[in-house]
Amino acid sequence: MIGIIANPASGKDIRRLVSYATVVDNNEKVNIVKRIVLAAQGCGVSSIFIMPDTYQIGYKVIEDLTLEKRLSAKVDILDMEMKGSHHDTTYAAKLMKEMNIKCVLVLGGDGTSRAVAKTIQEIPIIAISTGTNNVYPIMMEGTIAGMAAAAVCFGYGEKNIKRDKRIEIYKDKELLDIALVDAVISKNLFVGAKAIWNVENILKVITIKSHPASIGFSALVGCKQIVSEDEDYGLYVDLNNKYSQLIAPLGAGIIERIHMSEPKILRLNEEYVYLADTNGVIALDGEREIEFKQGEKLTFKITRKGPVRVKVSEVLENAQKSGFFIR
Amino acid sequence: MSLDKGKIIEMYKTMKRIREFEVKAQNLFAEGSIPGFVHLYIGEEAVATGVCANLNEDDYITSTHRGHGHIIAKGGDLRYMMAELYGKSTGYCKGKGGSMHIADATKGILGANGIVGAGHNIATGAGLSAKYKGTQQVCICFFGDASTNQGTFHESLNLASIWKLPIIFVCENNLYGISMSQSRHQAIKDISDRAVAYNMPGIAVDGNDVFAVYEAAEEAIKRARNGQGPTLIECKTYRHRGHFEGDAGAYKPTEEQKEWLEKDPIPRIEKFMIENKIVIEKELEDLRNEVKGQIEEAIEFANNSPYPELETAVNDIYSDIVEEVRVR
Amino acid sequence: MKKMTYAEAIREGMRIKMQQDKKVYILGEDVGAFGGCFGVTSGLFEEFGEDRVRDTPISEGVIIGCAVGSAATGLRPIAELMFVDFLTVGMDQLVNQAAKMRYMFGGKINMPMVVRLPAGAGVQAAAQHSQSLEAWLTHIPGLKVVYPSTPQDALGLMLTSIEDDNPVMYMEHKALYAMEGEIEEVKPIPLGVADVKREGKDITIVATGKMVHETLAASEMLIKEGIDVEVVDPRTLFPLDKKTIFESVKKTHKVVIVTEEHKRGGYGGEISAIISEEIFDELDAPVVRIGALDTPIPFSPVLEDYVIPNYIDIVKAVKSLV
Repeated sequence: MIGIIANPASGKDIRRLVSYATVVDNNEKVNIVKRIVLAAQGCGVSSIFIMPDTYQIGYKVIEDLTLEKRLSAKVDILDMEMKGSHHDTTYAAKLMKEMNIKCVLVLGGDGTSRAVAKTIQEIPIIAISTGTNNVYPIMMEGTIAGMAAAAVCFGYGEKNIKRDKRIEIYKDKELLDIALVDAVISKNLFVGAKAIWNVENILKVITIKSHPASIGFSALVGCKQIVSEDEDYGLYVDLNNKYSQLIAPLGAGIIERIHMSEPKILRLNEEYVYLADTNGVIALDGEREIEFKQGEKLTFKITRKGPVRVKVSEVLENAQKSGFFIR
Repeated sequence: MSLDKGKIIEMYKTMKRIREFEVKAQNLFAEGSIPGFVHLYIGEEAVATGVCANLNEDDYITSTHRGHGHIIAKGGDLRYMMAELYGKSTGYCKGKGGSMHIADATKGILGANGIVGAGHNIATGAGLSAKYKGTQQVCICFFGDASTNQGTFHESLNLASIWKLPIIFVCENNLYGISMSQSRHQAIKDISDRAVAYNMPGIAVDGNDVFAVYEAAEEAIKRARNGQGPTLIECKTYRHRGHFEGDAGAYKPTEEQKEWLEKDPIPRIEKFMIENKIVIEKELEDLRNEVKGQIEEAIEFANNSPYPELETAVNDIYSDIVEEVRVR
Repeated sequence: MKKMTYAEAIREGMRIKMQQDKKVYILGEDVGAFGGCFGVTSGLFEEFGEDRVRDTPISEGVIIGCAVGSAATGLRPIAELMFVDFLTVGMDQLVNQAAKMRYMFGGKINMPMVVRLPAGAGVQAAAQHSQSLEAWLTHIPGLKVVYPSTPQDALGLMLTSIEDDNPVMYMEHKALYAMEGEIEEVKPIPLGVADVKREGKDITIVATGKMVHETLAASEMLIKEGIDVEVVDPRTLFPLDKKTIFESVKKTHKVVIVTEEHKRGGYGGEISAIISEEIFDELDAPVVRIGALDTPIPFSPVLEDYVIPNYIDIVKAVKSLV
């Protein structure tokens, strides 16, 4: 039994305008889900659940594949109320957890994976990027993702999964939100067009996954120091003109010059306290989410309570060695 | 995006001005003072406001049958607008246009439009004009979700793209084409997807968040002024009223209406302004009263204005020919 | 004095105005280096460049709409539709926008645009490329409609049409493009002024477009039989020069109206009605209309010739009246 969560809203934000990011249309998402379903079914998965969404990706998949007489697995749409927002993703993930689904495939950007990670902690996930701007989900062919999900389903993945880190953000001891890649503190007042892209007004970046071979503010840190998923710490930096300058890929096709401090290490479970001296916004995994007011105290903590991620290639290698493909 | 306090207050006033104008128009239509059809913009104020707050007086806009908001946001005079709704001689169109045809060329307002999708085509001409003359002007083309099923939409995005015209196509996706919901009238959900086919950036923003709209428009306009061509911005929004006054909107599910009322753009900006100490409650109240006064003044102006003389029906058709007056 | 073809005269009119006024530009399908489907714009692209002679995609709606938007914002576009038949595709922009914007906006906007509309049959282009749709255009308040029949008129009317601050529909008959004629002077011809193409005393024939030439041919035959025809070419369908038509009718007291449109609902009927309503007492006989049969224009040359009126039909009609 596998689950599929596909976010219809990803791939359309302002980064298409301020960088060279790709517009990913919803019909392509339908195609990807079809390929996942067909691959998983072909590898023996008999039951698949899909999150309902406002574009009805799941219904379109079922309708088309049924018309084409290609569907043999039982594919169902989760019975849930839709809000047309990221709450749907979080809620669908919760239902999938309760249903004891074996592997969840998540299509979307960093924000989609983050919404899933809010409720799913034990079920292995495969995060598939549907854009050019993502760090957590990766670009992957749906067929392969579907095969890997099937392999996990049949028990070939136990050694090839990895629990990720996460950044927890607290206010007054209350957990406000989490991030899977980075948290960016900006003195910009506006949530506005959500996606964070402008280096202006940015004060701090906290990241748990930084590498120059990626895009965005985590990549900025990565251009100075790399921290991988496997390492038990994160990094934080200040952006300020008094620091030395470096170049980094802030967006698709956008290499910018930025003044940045030396990265400092934030160990697992160590707390970093930010005392706001101005009103502002915190962006999580690239999206402006939390508004804060001057004088508020925000605490950032890195923990290893992130989602369990499937190492797709390794799972399939293991499955191959175990004769999974011999039928 | 950088917005100072003054600009935020100005944007609030514009939104409130639109809301107040429309609520009054709704009442005046119900009591019979306004004849014809009115299509109200209530609920969509953040779109026109967020976009037009980036414009200069000589920039162009094309509008739709639901055009009051665009015209107010572009600086249209409330008195002449209201008088036009009444069919009075002092109206923008001397009583010859009415709600669906208000225009003010001196402010770049190339007209509301009674034909769904017609503005797309006209916008290409205004965009070409700016490019041809080498000015820095841009043209904003406002339209709804359903108009993107008209051929004009595709013709115009295509032309604007190949000619790199300074046009921002602003789709107000209010989820309905008259009574037909978007899921029934097109096989896509995000109209921004259609930009791909015309090789221009296409983005979707929360159309009920005036700052989100402002930010997207600001970037698109910058691009257009730089000669980088058109952009498609889809603003997800909702019309609170029916298609026109008199349409009770029975096709809109109650749950959906409730959900969108909670996302009403005006309480949202008010909350933002209070929370960020842009204004205090008392100042907000003063702003509301100031706007109310402007609308009252417009209504009074319209009420006190005369209807057009009958002979004026035969002029203004051509620049140089006056038709014959009817002899009964 | 020099000779020009009808197509050259149209081009010359555009060229002169483009040289005088940078605001004048041309847009349409294949009007650029290709020179237009009938070659009417050839050479203009080389002379004025791609900004002023603009190839458009095959999108008649936006060709007219772009002309509307640019005219409303201060340019003076000349839009070429490859065939008048394609007007159907862009009709909203013409009828609901171009024609009405000034009025709807209380007279506060100018709409200086010309739409060139190659019309008429005779080139075996069949039903979708041969129509004469002038009645559609004259029916709409806000449009002006011109229809030159000679190179001289084509040139003079083009100069005036471009100068006009209203949308002018410039009908041009494609079977006349190669016709040569004398250009006596390069001068604008005011709209709403008819031209008496042949003076006569026995009967008035009001004819438009290519039918002017069929009528002149018929007149040459009729004079041999002692019937002296006066041929009035309105040149502008709206505004219509009623005065010249009436003066002629007052002299001859008999009228035949010859247009290439389908007779049913054609503009010829409007001219007939005006004469009957306003100077009925001057008529010695009912007004006779000659038009194409009420069929789509057929392809086969023999059928096309049968459907479209010619000088023989005119001779017959005249003889029935005198």
